[in-house]
Amino acid sequence: MTVVVGHLPRPDGHGALDLGLRFARARGEPMLVVTVVPRQWSTPSPARVDAEFGEYARRVGAEAAASAGAYLAAAGVDVPVSYRAVPGRSVASTLVEVVQEAGGTVLVVGGTADAPPGRIGVGTTAQKLLHAAPVGVALAPRDRSPDSSPGSSPGSSPRGTPDGRPDSRADSTVDGTVDRAVDSTVDGTVDRTAGFGRLTVAFSDSESSVRTVAATAELAARLGVALRVASFGVRNPTMYPPEVGLHAEDSVLDSWADQAVEAQRRLVSGGIVGAGVPRVIGTGTSWDEAVAAVDWRGDELLVVGSSDSGPLARVFLGSRASKLIRAAPVPVLVLPHPSSRS
Amino acid sequence: MTTPRRPSTLRTELLRRKPVRPPTTGSGPGELRRSIGTLQLAAFGIGATVGTGIFFVLSSAVPDAGPAVVLSFVLAGVAAGLSALCYAEMASAVPVSGSTYSYAYATLGEVVAMGVAACLLLEYGVSAAAVAVGWSGYLNEALVNITGIELPQAILAAPWDSVPGVVNLPAVVLVGLCMVLLIRGASESARLNAIMVAIKLAVLAMFVVIAFTAFDADNFADFAPFGTAGVATAAGVIFFSFIGLDAVSTAGDEVRDPQRTMPRALLIALAVVITFYVLVAVSAVGTQPWQDFEGQSEAGLSQILNNVTGSAVWGTVLAVGAVVSIFSVTLVVLYGQTRILFAMGRDGMLPPLFSRVSPRTRTPVQNTVVVCVVVALLAAFVPLDHLVDLVSIGTLTAFIVVSVGVIVLRRREPDLPRGFTVPGYPVVPILSVLVCGYILLSLHWVTWLVFAAWVALFLLFYAGYGRRHSALARERA
Repeated sequence: MTVVVGHLPRPDGHGALDLGLRFARARGEPMLVVTVVPRQWSTPSPARVDAEFGEYARRVGAEAAASAGAYLAAAGVDVPVSYRAVPGRSVASTLVEVVQEAGGTVLVVGGTADAPPGRIGVGTTAQKLLHAAPVGVALAPRDRSPDSSPGSSPGSSPRGTPDGRPDSRADSTVDGTVDRAVDSTVDGTVDRTAGFGRLTVAFSDSESSVRTVAATAELAARLGVALRVASFGVRNPTMYPPEVGLHAEDSVLDSWADQAVEAQRRLVSGGIVGAGVPRVIGTGTSWDEAVAAVDWRGDELLVVGSSDSGPLARVFLGSRASKLIRAAPVPVLVLPHPSSRS
Repeated sequence: MTTPRRPSTLRTELLRRKPVRPPTTGSGPGELRRSIGTLQLAAFGIGATVGTGIFFVLSSAVPDAGPAVVLSFVLAGVAAGLSALCYAEMASAVPVSGSTYSYAYATLGEVVAMGVAACLLLEYGVSAAAVAVGWSGYLNEALVNITGIELPQAILAAPWDSVPGVVNLPAVVLVGLCMVLLIRGASESARLNAIMVAIKLAVLAMFVVIAFTAFDADNFADFAPFGTAGVATAAGVIFFSFIGLDAVSTAGDEVRDPQRTMPRALLIALAVVITFYVLVAVSAVGTQPWQDFEGQSEAGLSQILNNVTGSAVWGTVLAVGAVVSIFSVTLVVLYGQTRILFAMGRDGMLPPLFSRVSPRTRTPVQNTVVVCVVVALLAAFVPLDHLVDLVSIGTLTAFIVVSVGVIVLRRREPDLPRGFTVPGYPVVPILSVLVCGYILLSLHWVTWLVFAAWVALFLLFYAGYGRRHSALARERA
């Protein structure tokens, strides 16, 4: 029973640590910070020609553990944390091995550094995990800003780089950038690593989606946090030439929304969620717009189910879910195919 | 159903009109708001029009009129242009999304709307089948020219075609492909539309240039062997190739300064389309005696190029261009059909399965499957010329309804704000009715019979289903 965090030793690699800490606190579980380091050849080399490389790999691991330790210490960590540097050729499969070995309950990884601030960029490692991991995969947005509404100004992002590198992206358009940056490394870290305030589950009126909602409701009850059901509809693009008008797809979206309201109501009548659970519908002409159409709290976690077409008991991200993740302004937890849970 | 306070008589039921609500546009930033200019609008019109018929209609039309088929093109074009003007006024006065069905429902009442819907099933559904059959001809032409593989006739033509087969398989495959794309929510962007327009016009221009090198004025000697009646009959066949011009009008509320832009765009589109069609007709008739068109395959233009140049190169280029562009035409027309039925489903005129959206793909999947299966069956087993006649009669009737609707609306609600008004009212709508009516009268009596039976069947369905399930009835009850 461990929260496994895939940690990359890079200056902005704290999203995963923050999110891992939140999971550890929320679930009351220890945290295992794993850095996958390059693996040496197993055949002994005659003159130990790879000694330097081995040394380098060890150093990477040690540095990663040290930087993670320093960062977590600054954050005032109150759960048991252990660090491991595991050699492996593929980061994704090595992480999966560790999860299975350590009995991980959730695997937390960061997004790519080139995602828009506050958003999740799915890199190659995350991509592989999202199509094979045996436990839920949690993705951290890049440089989340703590208090302000998610996805807002990049200037408020905490960039307390442990190696003392100056924050090159200090945003001068925000007044008092310096104060704010200092503040957020102290207060912000605490906020950002507290548990979750609300779970929002993405619901799409399919059988497996109902099971995802049920699993999320269970999780919310276990964590003692609020639950919300959300459905997102994106207007299909207009067909050109517009033989039946430019608004044909608006009425398709309207129909979809009517059906989604009905499907959400069935969740209540079917006893999957309580009547008091808020149900929202977000629509727009793009995923960004649809996601922005509902309000998001700073301490929100978006829960997404795996696609029907994936293998059982594995995370397998559908194409719509993957678009949703890229538009999400909050951390996302992708649950494995739910039919195996019960 | 509970009884309303005022008992709803049959008359009020048949004539109830859908209240006009502005289309529910998400006022999102991605929305087009009055952003369409003249040229773009004209491109919509050209894109929707060219490709439905010109590539394969000559082999059906020339035997009816002889070389005077050139006049048939002008006649059909004038009729389409006049109706398109009426469409534009109707669309601007009744700001509902969509098609003639919606306009008729908002202005002329439910039963007329259902009659129009029967026509629209011909204008869209059956024309999609006809276009798919034409595509099949060009695909075969391209295939034979490029690979040398001759598909067996049994899978190339319908059983009752002039050269009979068993099933038109390529047409079925095309409709199937379009179905998959539509279910997956694929759509043709404005840019792709522009590219398609360019391809279509380019191959037609190529045809004209090459065909004129073999121009022989003697082929026009017997200009109108069947007189004006023949011209009108051929116009009825050709009318099929002007379908889509009304697409210009549907963009009404997105158009900058519609009173100026709309007629200009229509005229540009009409001028481009008629010019190309007439040039194609003149150059094609110039290459061979008019009697030779009869029995030429669907890929007629391609074969003419082969005959003229003595090489398969240019015919192949044209066939490939036709295959690409007719594919997009089929997709757009099928899409139009599904969305018209979708609107009817939402109004309660059709069973709700037509307006159900799949939670997975967010498209009306059942609707799309039903439409595509029916269209595929038509394309598989009914020869092109029968389909074309039905398309024309349905479209002409729908156009007449719109023209009449303009007059009705002017009399009943003269003060309704209209973004665009028909120039030369009431001459234009009346002329539109007359020209369309003239072409209609020249169609074969069998076509009339089939058409009458179809509309009757559809209205019967309305009496049994739509009249009771109408969303308006439910609202009122």
